[in-house]
Amino acid sequence: MVSTKELVNIELEVKAIEKGNLACPGCQLNLSFKHALSALKGDAIVVVPACCTSVIQGAGQGYGMHVPIFNTAFASAPPVASGIARKLKRDGKKTTVVVWAGDGGTADIGFGSMSGAAERDENILYVMYDNQGYQNTGNQKSGATPRGAKTSTTPHGKKSRRKDIARMMMAQEVSYVATANASYPQDLFAKIERAATEFAGHFRFIQIYSPCPPGWNIDTKDSVLVGELANNTGYWPLYEAVNGKLEFSRPSRRFNDPAKRKPLADYLKIQGRFRNIDPEIVKQMEEDIEHEWSILRKFM
Amino acid sequence: MKSSRYQEEILMLDFSKVEIWTGNQAIAEAAILSRPEVIAAYPITPSTPIIEALSSAVENGRLDAEFIAVESEHAAMSGVMGGSAAGARTFTATASQGLLYMMEMIYWAGYGRLPIVIGLVNRSLAPGWSIWVDHQDAYSMRDAGWLQIFAKNNQEAHDLTVQAFKVAENHGVYLPMAVNIDGFVLSHVAGQVQPLTQKFVDDFLPSFNPIFKLDSSDPVSFGALTLPDDYQMLRKDLEDSFQRAKKVITDVSKEFAELTGRDWGDLIEVYGPESADIAVVAMGTLAEEAEEAVDELNKRGKNVGVVRIRSFRPFPTERIREVAKNYDKILIIDRGQSFGSATPLTLEFKNALYGTDIPIVTRVMGTGGKDVDYSEIMAVIEEVYKEEM
Ligand SMILES: Cc1ncc(C[n+]2csc(CCOP(=O)(O)OP(=O)(O)O)c2C)c(N)n1
Ligand code: SF4
Ligand SMILES: [Mg+2]
Repeated sequence: MVSTKELVNIELEVKAIEKGNLACPGCQLNLSFKHALSALKGDAIVVVPACCTSVIQGAGQGYGMHVPIFNTAFASAPPVASGIARKLKRDGKKTTVVVWAGDGGTADIGFGSMSGAAERDENILYVMYDNQGYQNTGNQKSGATPRGAKTSTTPHGKKSRRKDIARMMMAQEVSYVATANASYPQDLFAKIERAATEFAGHFRFIQIYSPCPPGWNIDTKDSVLVGELANNTGYWPLYEAVNGKLEFSRPSRRFNDPAKRKPLADYLKIQGRFRNIDPEIVKQMEEDIEHEWSILRKFM
Repeated sequence: MKSSRYQEEILMLDFSKVEIWTGNQAIAEAAILSRPEVIAAYPITPSTPIIEALSSAVENGRLDAEFIAVESEHAAMSGVMGGSAAGARTFTATASQGLLYMMEMIYWAGYGRLPIVIGLVNRSLAPGWSIWVDHQDAYSMRDAGWLQIFAKNNQEAHDLTVQAFKVAENHGVYLPMAVNIDGFVLSHVAGQVQPLTQKFVDDFLPSFNPIFKLDSSDPVSFGALTLPDDYQMLRKDLEDSFQRAKKVITDVSKEFAELTGRDWGDLIEVYGPESADIAVVAMGTLAEEAEEAVDELNKRGKNVGVVRIRSFRPFPTERIREVAKNYDKILIIDRGQSFGSATPLTLEFKNALYGTDIPIVTRVMGTGGKDVDYSEIMAVIEEVYKEEM
């Protein structure tokens, strides 16, 4: 795994994101993008459907990202990337084709097209950055919004569980599936690198937990802390699944033991989106954590 | 008279060879000869045989290309868009509901200036389910930034498909293009087609030379957030390109006619007497049917002609103004409607002929695949003769 110093040096060199793009302060999607594109050393073509990433690049000629980007319609990124990947194959190019999509674009409107690209095993690295709602349109619920979260379309907290896309991709027997967390950049970096090299030629899927201060109603300074608590409460298990065989990643491993996990309340109390929700829902959320781990363990 | 190049080309074309092809085969064979590199497609009646032919051509090694069997039409257009943006010549085919399902990406390809060619096998829109021809599907993409051209028979469909790549990829045009044929009437009915040869197409159609493409060593962004001033400028540029396309389509048709002896007209095809009492206006096979109707009527002493619209977008406004002078009355036979207003072709003619006093009458015929034969067109012409001229 790269050291923090090496990571910083690579990021300074690749400069995947220019200074002063349009992301909100504390935006973790922005950092995830920087880490991921640095891991690819900038040798990537990125396909971005409608989402916050379409906006934060900047407007017109004031362009904030240092990689070629094809901006496309909400549900269309996987097939656009498929077309690009096929042409690169003909040209003998090794450039990684990345779909960089939000949770809504992935779990909802683009699910069919992602599943299609996975089924064809297209040479695409699919990254779902997960800010757990439609943030670009002002925080409406998505299929990936977790139970309990208040959004503008679930004003009393969402009642049902989130759609677990990483597990759905495992069910589709995608060769490399991983979860990541913007608060663990080295782990994220290593996963992108591994996906891009060891599993090149195949469809790969990485889901990155990416806190969003305005949407989650958290303090800008807390967005890294929220990610850390997501890990330490066992709320967001980090793992890699290679050909269906799962291994928990280092930052999460010890939380396989429920006794080691921090109380969920620590995670909830610093996020406005979970404020004053029904205690019954909180109880279900606590149960959801062990439920998730127990399913994941079966794939070890 | 003919250039030496013509003689050479004659040798490349084997005129003794005639195939009996459906319209779908005629398009597929021409697409194969045009050497697309990326094809993404999804089946729908009556266009399915086109993509099946392409898929087997790729599978059996006849065509060196990537065939992406996607999960929807939305994805089919997205797939060829990706290929095109990465620098590939691209092709797909669809019809009817498939086109509607694709529509978001149809606009993306048009406004995004990706010179994709699509075989559009015209079929009516549901409900009720109908697999038969009308032009309502084509009209639905009118303002999407696509060139739209209509063939009247299988030979023209074959020839137009190759020409379409040349027009679309022209740097002064650089727009996607739809080659339209009537569902079943052409797509599934076999007729004589003189096939173009690989040698001819390789010579006639230069390889795709993209103006811009995705490349990690030269990062550019496609379709990023665009402020109002830039946006308006880009749309004006789109309009300018459509205007330039009028000449390019005409020139490419002319060049093709000189090389092959097959002259399908320019943006329009004028048939019959120089000047006439009535000009029948139609697109696709209805125009060919109208040719027969006017032949028959003219034999009986009437004086009628046909103006076939080949290019619906760009619309040949100037050409219509030029030729309309030769007629006392215009009879438009439209295979589609614009509910609550005049039919799409009628609107175009009223716009083109604004300020003139040439009367225009319209009949909607042949929608939902309703069979229209030349005798019915004759009857309509007779009716129009009887109305006040
Ligand atoms: C077909 C279509 N429907 C709706 C929208 C409006 N829209 C744009 S972005 C977005 C939400 C995106 O959510 P997500 O994928 O989670 O990305 P985020 O904005 O959270 O980064 C929506 C609903 C659109 N652009 N296209
Ligand atoms: S709304 Fe959230 S995800 Fe979007 S740019 Fe702002 S912080 Fe980032
Ligand atoms: Mg989101």
